[in-house]
Amino acid sequence: MRTTLRGKLLPPVLAIVFSVLLCTIALVISGDNPLDAFGAMIGQLFRGTTAVDTLNSGAVYYLAGLAVAIGFQMNLFNIGVEGQYRFAAVIAAIIGGEIVLPPGIHTLVIIIVAVVAGSFYALIPALLKVYRGVSEVISTIMLNAIAIGLIAYLVSTDAFGVQVGNNIGTRPIEESGWMPGIPFGDNGTLFGFVFVAALVGFGYWVLLNRTRFGFELKASGESPTAATAGGVDARKMIMTAMLLSGGVAGLTALPELLGRDHEYLQTSPAGYGFAGIAVALLGRNHPGGIALGAVLWAFLDKSAVSLDNVGVPQEITTIMQGAIVLSVVIAYEIVRRMELAAEQRRVGRQLGRDTSDVAAGGSV
Amino acid sequence: MADDLAVELEGITKRFPGVVANSDIHLTVRTGEVHAVCGENGAGKSTLMKILYGMLQPDEGTIKVNGRPVRLRNPSDAIKVGVGMVHQHFMLADNLSVLENIVLGAEGLHGIGAKARKEVAELARRTGLTADLDIALEYLGVADRQRVEIVKVLYRGARIVILDEPTAVLVPQEVDDLFETVRQMRDDGFTFIFISHKLDEVRAIADTITVIRRGTTVGTADPKTTSSRQLAEMMVGSELPSPETRESTVTDTAVLTVSGLRLAEPGSARAVLDDIDLVVHSGEVLGIAGVEGNGQTELVETIMGMRRATAGSITLSGKDITKLGTLARREAGIGYIAEDRTRHGLLLTQPLWANRMLGYQTREPVSRGQWLDIAGAKRDTQRIVEAYDVRTPGIDVAAAALSGGNQQKLVVGRELSGDPKLLIASHPTRGVDVGAQALIWDHIRQARAAGLAVLLISADLDELIGLSDRIVVMLRGRLVSEEDPATVTAEDLGCAMTGTAPREATK
Amino acid sequence: MRRSRVTTLAAVALTGALALAGCAKDTGGGSTPPAGGNQAESCKKNPVPTGGSGSAAGSTSAGPKVDASALKVGLAYDIGGRGDASFNDSAAAGLDKAKADMGLKETKELTAAPNEPEDAKQSRLRQLAQEGFNPIIAVGFAYAKSVEAVATQFPNTKFAVVDDDTVKLPNVTGLVFAEEQGSFLVGVAAVYKSKNCHVGFVGGVNVPLIQKFQAGFEQGVKAASNDAKIEAEYITPAGDFTGFQDPAKGNVVAAGEISRGADVIYQAAGASGKGVFEAAKSKNALAIGVDSDQYNQKTVENSRDVIITSMLKRVDVAVYDYVRAVAGNTLASLPKRFDLKADGVGYATSGGKIDDIKATLDAYKQQIIDGKITVSDKPSN
Repeated sequence: MRTTLRGKLLPPVLAIVFSVLLCTIALVISGDNPLDAFGAMIGQLFRGTTAVDTLNSGAVYYLAGLAVAIGFQMNLFNIGVEGQYRFAAVIAAIIGGEIVLPPGIHTLVIIIVAVVAGSFYALIPALLKVYRGVSEVISTIMLNAIAIGLIAYLVSTDAFGVQVGNNIGTRPIEESGWMPGIPFGDNGTLFGFVFVAALVGFGYWVLLNRTRFGFELKASGESPTAATAGGVDARKMIMTAMLLSGGVAGLTALPELLGRDHEYLQTSPAGYGFAGIAVALLGRNHPGGIALGAVLWAFLDKSAVSLDNVGVPQEITTIMQGAIVLSVVIAYEIVRRMELAAEQRRVGRQLGRDTSDVAAGGSV
Repeated sequence: MADDLAVELEGITKRFPGVVANSDIHLTVRTGEVHAVCGENGAGKSTLMKILYGMLQPDEGTIKVNGRPVRLRNPSDAIKVGVGMVHQHFMLADNLSVLENIVLGAEGLHGIGAKARKEVAELARRTGLTADLDIALEYLGVADRQRVEIVKVLYRGARIVILDEPTAVLVPQEVDDLFETVRQMRDDGFTFIFISHKLDEVRAIADTITVIRRGTTVGTADPKTTSSRQLAEMMVGSELPSPETRESTVTDTAVLTVSGLRLAEPGSARAVLDDIDLVVHSGEVLGIAGVEGNGQTELVETIMGMRRATAGSITLSGKDITKLGTLARREAGIGYIAEDRTRHGLLLTQPLWANRMLGYQTREPVSRGQWLDIAGAKRDTQRIVEAYDVRTPGIDVAAAALSGGNQQKLVVGRELSGDPKLLIASHPTRGVDVGAQALIWDHIRQARAAGLAVLLISADLDELIGLSDRIVVMLRGRLVSEEDPATVTAEDLGCAMTGTAPREATK
Repeated sequence: MRRSRVTTLAAVALTGALALAGCAKDTGGGSTPPAGGNQAESCKKNPVPTGGSGSAAGSTSAGPKVDASALKVGLAYDIGGRGDASFNDSAAAGLDKAKADMGLKETKELTAAPNEPEDAKQSRLRQLAQEGFNPIIAVGFAYAKSVEAVATQFPNTKFAVVDDDTVKLPNVTGLVFAEEQGSFLVGVAAVYKSKNCHVGFVGGVNVPLIQKFQAGFEQGVKAASNDAKIEAEYITPAGDFTGFQDPAKGNVVAAGEISRGADVIYQAAGASGKGVFEAAKSKNALAIGVDSDQYNQKTVENSRDVIITSMLKRVDVAVYDYVRAVAGNTLASLPKRFDLKADGVGYATSGGKIDDIKATLDAYKQQIIDGKITVSDKPSN
């Protein structure tokens, strides 16, 4: 069954409307003015760096969302995007900080290192699943926890860390390894990696819809038995999908690392991988949908600061993010049923014609 | 009281986003009779029965049970008014005991203790279920499992029992036993609605037959005065096909050679396949007869490379393919009609053209190198739809929207499109209507005449006898005998399959 | 590191001539310990240093009256914000005092969200700067880079960063503390209150900042007695900041140390400290609080009777002094580090549980202020 444009767009719109309503209620109960809150959220886009920051963070969430979505395509729940991206970020930051290469090449090396490191960290659950039948959900959750310890060690002064004041981080990457952005003056600088992320999204689309591998991936996800009978090697698919997912996960932290921070600090934020799961759900694994989901997620993140500034509890944005994810799932189901009913009516009309044919030609 | 009406369905209409539904169906079943509902697959029998069992709600029409109009929103509503259903695919838990399977979900009736056991034992006696109530279900054969399903339904208080294609999984002897039980229970006052498209069986058991075609009732017949042929013609509305293969096209070019094939069951010394030797020649159909679960599935999956043989070799046209994967074997020239098309043959939510690619994703016309050729896939799907008479609103609909027969025609069309040397056809017409069956037989026969080697596995003995040039019988993982389809009867085959009249093994 | 500490101790021992008096005075250990009396088990104490005179402490709050009513002060808290019963609250207290004492009227307080990226911190500071707040105080070293970025953009706005002094810009002031000095003193107190001559340290997260607490504490313990044994553990490794927010884990870690024999536990574990206090209470041990005077803190009220003292990190003093310095245009006079001398760190006496050893503690304090004892901010291994 093909979903119509309405079937694709209505659910997220419904979900947003629903979560806005929910937040309005929450705001009224907590004694705040919802109009002030929503006004601040919209208004922030026209002030300061928020609009650019939203796109920058959107790129981060987009990459995380794509990484999760690759796994989702074949029913692999790669919760480990969190650990994979952080592991990759640290490795890339360490190596990027230790070496100096000509501009461009330096950046490219860092990107490749991140992809390889992310893939490597995803290789472990992939091997466990293929050869030992360990659920990737369990193994990646554990590897996320292990990544925390591993990163703590890697950035410690005993290993590769450098202490600056009370903070520890990796050695800053020389300017040759940065990725230039597009400056908008006082409105911030758009990361160059935003375009890389868009390119990855396009690659994801091509891979899924135009290549043999994408077909085999989707087939394995839909029906492992049919895929096997159709000559798809399930183990190879699990391996490839996990490695690919990990590789994209490895890119997640690069927009910030190459575009702004240039070092990985022990206080560098975590949680992008988990947000990626929500973003992939919002976008229904579709590259365009994930992009919208990622930007929406980033926008709500940014709203926290603006809301706090007008005295509205910033936790309202967390409520909104949660409500949107939940309601988008429900909304898709409602719209699916509406579409089904509509199609039934349509087929019913067709059938009315069909049965008259039967009656005319039928013999007993 | 024989003329009391147990079930009356009036003007039932059900619309679906697919191709087949129910339209203005009328069905009247008297209390204490065996009422057969016949029709091609996809004619709407299953939909109708799901409506009667509360699994689907009709868009129009009324249902009366025992004279009272009822509204059945779910199966428990149906059970409440005494309607129960034994599904074609059993819904049982392998690791629970027989007793637990029966009581599961109906603990409220007689508890789970001695009272329940007594009740179940009584019902088991009535239905001829002789298995120990405390052994795990996994040790039961198909026939016994079916009895368990029947007891389950009766235990919940059903007086009207729907049997959905109950004989599809049974060998002839077991069918007779089942019919004996049904007759006895009918005399005890139970009402049966018997769904089937096997006309001989229908005539043997039914008191009344209602025929459904293209979603609507065609008429009611008395089995005593109607021949199978007449019935079949009511079902298709045209002349009947026959599986008989007219002249032999067998050559002496061996296409598939299997020798010493052995497949050990994981974690056990028992062999699922034990020293299998067979040859299929170009232009030959080799039929494999056997009760399900005797290794046919494993044999097919081992030849396809979905399972790894423990020992032995498989050769295709002189090339050793024992070490190749499934895809490489397909590319080497094997077409594969899987026994369960919904599990192994199709991607149900994908459009028809995407299903055209499955198993052929590496080849023209659906791909070029690593890239898919979607236009090519669509073009070729359109060709299959036309050549194989797949009834569909278009090639963009999901495979799930098609009826079973049309799905199977698509699969057969696909598997014959890759220019195969060998076709493995596992139950190619199972659950397929008569029209589609004829078409599928026709295409297999044509391909055979063009030199295709066919390995045919089927539970339909008429199909086996009619299509095959040779038949080998499989029992407990071994090929135990070879039969000549020109002389063998279904009864003989049935004996060989159950091992009741063992004959010399062939070599 | 070890070597320098040992030489320090040797020096202390040499200069301290009247050693025996201190020893004799202090055998009378805890005033009302939960169990037992004062057995002979306790440590052989090192001589308490003497010398110097109690004159140098408390340099700040006095002085000419300053009017800050013209200032608009912006405060950017770390995660938790006002009401975290920890150092954010301490900063808030400094602000409140500034309002009361100096007529400060217009203030704005914003709070960081968990796991926010760098740009969120920058946006927060930038919003404050754009709305004309000056000075802007960022609470927590995580703000260092953001302050650097925004301060460059707003050269006429004054910024301060609590716990960081790495930003080298004319309009940025670092407000850092000598946590190791305060921790040294509570280390001494711990030994004097320990019956087993065995004390413990529970850090929240193993980061350099918390290591300063550990370092000072251990040096204090060793200074008080060569025999004292020390347990030192962290709830989580660096990078996993849940160690500051997990009382249950704090309880487990503290209980472990107590079961190995430690009977006075010093915690530097943020909100996890509550669990440390509970462990101490249920196992008849004693505990030492951190940052603020935890004996008087509502959130740990139930376990207050085990809290013998707290290491005070006077973020409130730093914030107050900074606002005062900005208002009075005397930024240059602010101490480089808020140490014992500047009253930036210290120990609490609420509850009266260490009144008996106050003289000893003050003697050590004076030694540190006078520079006769130097406390390293790195743990010895």
